[in-house]
Amino acid sequence: MKKLKVNAERCTGCESCVLSCSFAHWDSFSLTLSRVLVDRQTEHARFIPRVCIQCEERLCVQACPVGALSVNLETGAIAVAKDLCMGCRMCERACPYKGIHFVREMMTPLVCDLCGGDPECVQVCQKPKALEFVEY
Amino acid sequence: MSAEYRWLQQRCLEVDLSTRQIREREISEKELRLFLGGRGIGAYLLWNRLPKAVDPFDPDNPLIFSTGTLTGTNVPMSGRAGITFVSPATGLYFKGNVGGHFGVYLKLNGVDYIVVHGVASSPVYLLLDDEEVEIRDAGDLWGRTVRETNRALAELHGDDIEVACIGPAGENRVRFASVMVSVYNALARGGIGAVMGSKFLKAVAVKRPHGTVRPRDVVAFRRTVRELRQALLADTMADSYYKYGTAASIGFMNEIGTLPSYNFQRGSVESVEQLTSEYWNERGLLKGRIGCASCVYSCHRFIKIDEGRYAGTYSGGPEYETVSALGSGPGVTSIGALQKANALCNDLGLDTISTGGVIQWAMETYERGLLPNALTEGLDLHFGSEEAVTELPRLIAYRKGIGDLLAEGVKRAAEKVGGESWKWAVHTRGLEQSRVETRGAMGYALAFAVNPRGPDHLHTECLAEFGMTPEMRALIREITGSEEYARPDIVEKRAEIVRWHEDIYAVSDALGLCAFTSTAAYGATPERCARLFAALTGISMDKDRVMEAGRRIITLERMINLRLGWKEDPSSYAPWRLMNERVESLHTDDPILSIDKMRFMVRQYYRLHGWDEKTGVPSRSVLERLGLLELANDKVGKES
Repeated sequence: MKKLKVNAERCTGCESCVLSCSFAHWDSFSLTLSRVLVDRQTEHARFIPRVCIQCEERLCVQACPVGALSVNLETGAIAVAKDLCMGCRMCERACPYKGIHFVREMMTPLVCDLCGGDPECVQVCQKPKALEFVEY
Repeated sequence: MSAEYRWLQQRCLEVDLSTRQIREREISEKELRLFLGGRGIGAYLLWNRLPKAVDPFDPDNPLIFSTGTLTGTNVPMSGRAGITFVSPATGLYFKGNVGGHFGVYLKLNGVDYIVVHGVASSPVYLLLDDEEVEIRDAGDLWGRTVRETNRALAELHGDDIEVACIGPAGENRVRFASVMVSVYNALARGGIGAVMGSKFLKAVAVKRPHGTVRPRDVVAFRRTVRELRQALLADTMADSYYKYGTAASIGFMNEIGTLPSYNFQRGSVESVEQLTSEYWNERGLLKGRIGCASCVYSCHRFIKIDEGRYAGTYSGGPEYETVSALGSGPGVTSIGALQKANALCNDLGLDTISTGGVIQWAMETYERGLLPNALTEGLDLHFGSEEAVTELPRLIAYRKGIGDLLAEGVKRAAEKVGGESWKWAVHTRGLEQSRVETRGAMGYALAFAVNPRGPDHLHTECLAEFGMTPEMRALIREITGSEEYARPDIVEKRAEIVRWHEDIYAVSDALGLCAFTSTAAYGATPERCARLFAALTGISMDKDRVMEAGRRIITLERMINLRLGWKEDPSSYAPWRLMNERVESLHTDDPILSIDKMRFMVRQYYRLHGWDEKTGVPSRSVLERLGLLELANDKVGKES
């Protein structure tokens, strides 16, 4: 199964992935409505993309008190059932990779859905290759 | 999606620092169609708000922050912001343009333009959060360097903040003080930082935005973005920009003798190795890359010195211009000293090109015995002095000792020192020349001569005249009808080449695209620019009209300069040295920029524009054709 791989040391902090993710899902450009965010420390050129990497532990799923999170067995991506989610942010706290983002305006978390198998964020990171979609 | 998100379009805030009043207006569809956004709207607003010439430090000199129309989207390299103002270096129109993420933060906070009027009674900064702007006290920030200011504002408002600020150089009105975006991106030229300092405006800080931008035609927008991205990634130069950045050509240029060195007296330095990107990569000095918003190349590099006298020094860059301005120009060939000088300029808020320019002028003046010892205070000012490039930035920024003289720029410094020192003050109209050996590049020489900013590469980058890549040769064929004109040493067809590049450059600046997209790599064609503009705004546009809008911007900039007192002056076609002295390494038939040669090209250029051949004044019919006549008669734009 293919998974997202984060090569933080290669990230340039351009946030193409952030804007492209929001556009792919909402037809709008946003720095908050994105499944991938980038922590930027420009002074030292340190940039860390934060996105779900379809880990084995799936602590977010375990942490959800109402069972709103589940794993898509075909793709390995996490799915959020919005009607069940009560906005407690336990999933966000549980993720050791900071890969799931609670969106204040929507009162629900956003997590990578792999764009159905061809992640947009990987498409726009062709030179640095800080985000890759690779077979594990 | 939540209802609070909305389409944000062309909102302009007017901030009066004298009265502390904040008003807002929208840029109309007509204005946007005519001037496209960014630099175009910046020039338009300046024209409307500056009815007559003013001193650059007069409170009436407005500071116009702008974002590109495509800024805030994932269009490759679209994250640019700009500032338009009257320059303390030239007294003329000036626009600065910068990458980083500041523009995106402004745009997604619902602000496209900020016009800053007046002067504050004490230091202030602007804070933007969720579409609102506040004027805050900056007493604690005044006197701090760029890094310190960024850190202090992050402490106050959180790490997720983007800042444009001045350093001590801007506070002290150094005539080439920069505005820095974050810590390493510079709106460097023309003394923009000094204007900001004169208004007691230390910074504009923007919190992480929650707004969105939604193109009117999502499908067309998405398709064109993909097409542009693939075109840029397929460009012959793409790998080089990513691997080696803007300094990629240093070694080659040194070899062929076109790397401006020793204050434009030579075309190379003895030992160039440490000034090359290859050296920094191989020796592990390249620690990372810093991408501007939505960039697909990330040419901006982060270099840290690990060993020796300058160990621990780090900064973004040095870029090509800085390598020549603070390296080969003063004859300094150690990467340690160069990066130290670069880091100081970035932190103190100084333009590296002009800082290098005044340092080289001081070195030559010193070696020729015209600088009194009392002024130099024991500082080693010989060419090659690492001490000079690492000490002078501080003296200039704080106007201490000789720094006070140099802070005025080479033109004014030469006037004070006297003798023949004006002959090696490499400037025109008060702006130190960019690091281009224009004696060997006729297109660049013409572009610099007619540039409203002065002799500078960031208004028209006609790299294509060198014909180095298939894309460049194809473009020259498209413009002139033949690839034979893809050579830089002839005057023929330079007017056509320069005008095309000027137009597309103005379009790029207006849309918020990095000039690399259209005049260094060639993906952002007029056709794609038009399609992106139309898909985003819903305003119909095609390739001819988008280039006409570029020409309209260029023409309006000329009108602004005429209003500010600009006069046609053949002696200002190029710096005196380049018009009168040859550089040995340049093997061309005619190694100086003779007045005849320059006049021929300038007249061709004016004829092409339909401007008066002798005076450079746009004719009435040209203004009419471009829809500027109404503006020229001042019938519109007096609303505020």
